[in-house]
Amino acid sequence: MDHQIYILIVEDELEVMDAIVNDLAAFEDQFPIETANSSEEAKQVITSIYESEQEVGLILCDHILPGENGVELLIELSTLTHTQNSKKVLVTGQAGLEDTVKAVNQADLNHYISKPWTKEQLSDVVTEQLTDYVIEHKANLLPFMARLDGTRLSEAMRNRPLTDH
Amino acid sequence: MNTSSPVKWLNERDVILRFIRKLTEELPELKSHTIKAEAGTILFDRGHQLNHLYLLMEGEVKLSWTNKKKEEMQLIKLGPGHFVGLVAFATGGKTLTNAEVSAESVILKMEQHQFEQYLSEHPRIMHPMQQLMISNMVERFGNNLKLHTKTNILTDELKSERNELKAAYAKLESTHEALVLQEKMATLGELVAGFAHEINNPAAAIMRSAETLKDHFNSESSNGILSLFFRLGLEQEPMNSSEVRSRILKVQKEFPWINNRPLERKMAQMPDKAFALINEHKKKVPLEEMVQQFEAGKLIHNIETGSKRVANLVKSLKSYSRQDKNELESINIRDGLQDTILILGHRLKYLNLTVDLQPIPNLLGKMGDLNQVWTNIIVNACDVLDKSGDIGIECSANDQRILVRIWDSGPGIPSEHLSRIFDTNFTTKNGQAEFGLGLGLAISKQIIMQHGGSISATNRSEGGAVFEVSLPV
Repeated sequence: MDHQIYILIVEDELEVMDAIVNDLAAFEDQFPIETANSSEEAKQVITSIYESEQEVGLILCDHILPGENGVELLIELSTLTHTQNSKKVLVTGQAGLEDTVKAVNQADLNHYISKPWTKEQLSDVVTEQLTDYVIEHKANLLPFMARLDGTRLSEAMRNRPLTDH
Repeated sequence: MNTSSPVKWLNERDVILRFIRKLTEELPELKSHTIKAEAGTILFDRGHQLNHLYLLMEGEVKLSWTNKKKEEMQLIKLGPGHFVGLVAFATGGKTLTNAEVSAESVILKMEQHQFEQYLSEHPRIMHPMQQLMISNMVERFGNNLKLHTKTNILTDELKSERNELKAAYAKLESTHEALVLQEKMATLGELVAGFAHEINNPAAAIMRSAETLKDHFNSESSNGILSLFFRLGLEQEPMNSSEVRSRILKVQKEFPWINNRPLERKMAQMPDKAFALINEHKKKVPLEEMVQQFEAGKLIHNIETGSKRVANLVKSLKSYSRQDKNELESINIRDGLQDTILILGHRLKYLNLTVDLQPIPNLLGKMGDLNQVWTNIIVNACDVLDKSGDIGIECSANDQRILVRIWDSGPGIPSEHLSRIFDTNFTTKNGQAEFGLGLGLAISKQIIMQHGGSISATNRSEGGAVFEVSLPV
């Protein structure tokens, strides 16, 4: 398969993971989903994605995780070359104000979703974040028109300076 | 009177006064300055320049002082033989007191220059006058010294009283804090009990609906193979992500024609048995339908697992808080420990927990209060361990006593803290606003003592701290 943008979900409760994956199934034809149950596993998954020359466009992360917590993971990922551009979203019911502020300030947190979420809310956030990601990092936006926010993508294309193809 | 020999004439004011009285009879100038004053006559007020000196021959003069609140404070009463206004007169300064005649008096009233004149013109009067003045001064100086001593004693008394007050205030404050915390815990308990009650209904609705939904699927499905997939889904425990990843590869190898990642992921969570069934039936039954049935079963399984967890948590919360009746009753501490462990699941989740709860007899106690003790100790251990380490919770019984041991593999308690750890207001969590109130262990001790038991904190030889509670059956 050609170059693909991954969605990574980090969540330690398997039933909850299942629910998030189901809610985002519609994105998978274009944005394959990878999952991890801990911060440690998340980092391994990220490494293997980049080793197969793919990239991670969006990370959805729970806060309470075994070992390193979600905010710590996001802060760490924001300093690594592979993941510093990835959009980062905290999906949690348990991060206190202090942790959240830390995530916003130090990990460039892009969005915060509190549990329980709705499918519509989750899809909207993922659409918005992936749209931002491709506008910022992709030269050709046409392939994303159908799945992501078409209006914003075409606007972005109009505003782009002509490149010497 | 005095054993040593005092300067005798200083104490013979009467004799001197009698002599002066005699002189005033003999000297017309002096006699003309002798006045009679009724009670209530004001000689002078405080803070004025004084032109006259008064020598009280008979009667009584009251010296007083008016404070800022305009209240008159009486200082001393002067009797015959005393000068009035002597200090102001001698220094030329302002009067320090008010002087008022308090009983009908005879007073010798002289202006300054007259006074000096008499002294120089009548050597006979000079000597007794001087004696009288010195006697006056000596007496006042003596009074002054006594006053000083008295003031010092009073200051000391005030100081120790103030220290006692300070200590009493500090004690009051910590009692107040303890009361506030207890009140908070009580409110929290009430809230929890109310919350548990309220959430029970929706939790029951979810549980019952899942059950009914399960029956519907099982009976309505006419197609045998589809209901088989539904049942497989129902039995399937969720897989962790690394297992899902490796099984996706297996699915891709076995069913290379699918090429649909969401579908592959769903199939990855099926047991191998299902793969054989798919291969067997894929010609007659669409693959998507089989996967959908499996998925439906799995989702209902998830609903059941989730709602059962909610119900169990609520049950534990209710028995943990015991708000409805936190009173002496026959209780089993083992149940309380189990509830506490479940309630603190979010803290204990990532620690290596060893639980050894042996059967123990019931005792008469307050379940809610005792659970607060276990919670305090366990939460402290979790705080110390942060995210990794061992924690052990044990109970056993011997010789009519119940023993509870809670240990951790943390750094242990610094020896200088061991003796103070159960004191009110002792905390090492300064600056952390959350629960570091420093009352947890003090209250714990109080609760254990109310149950006639004892609590101790020591360090284990293999490292870490251990709290031991011993309670009589």
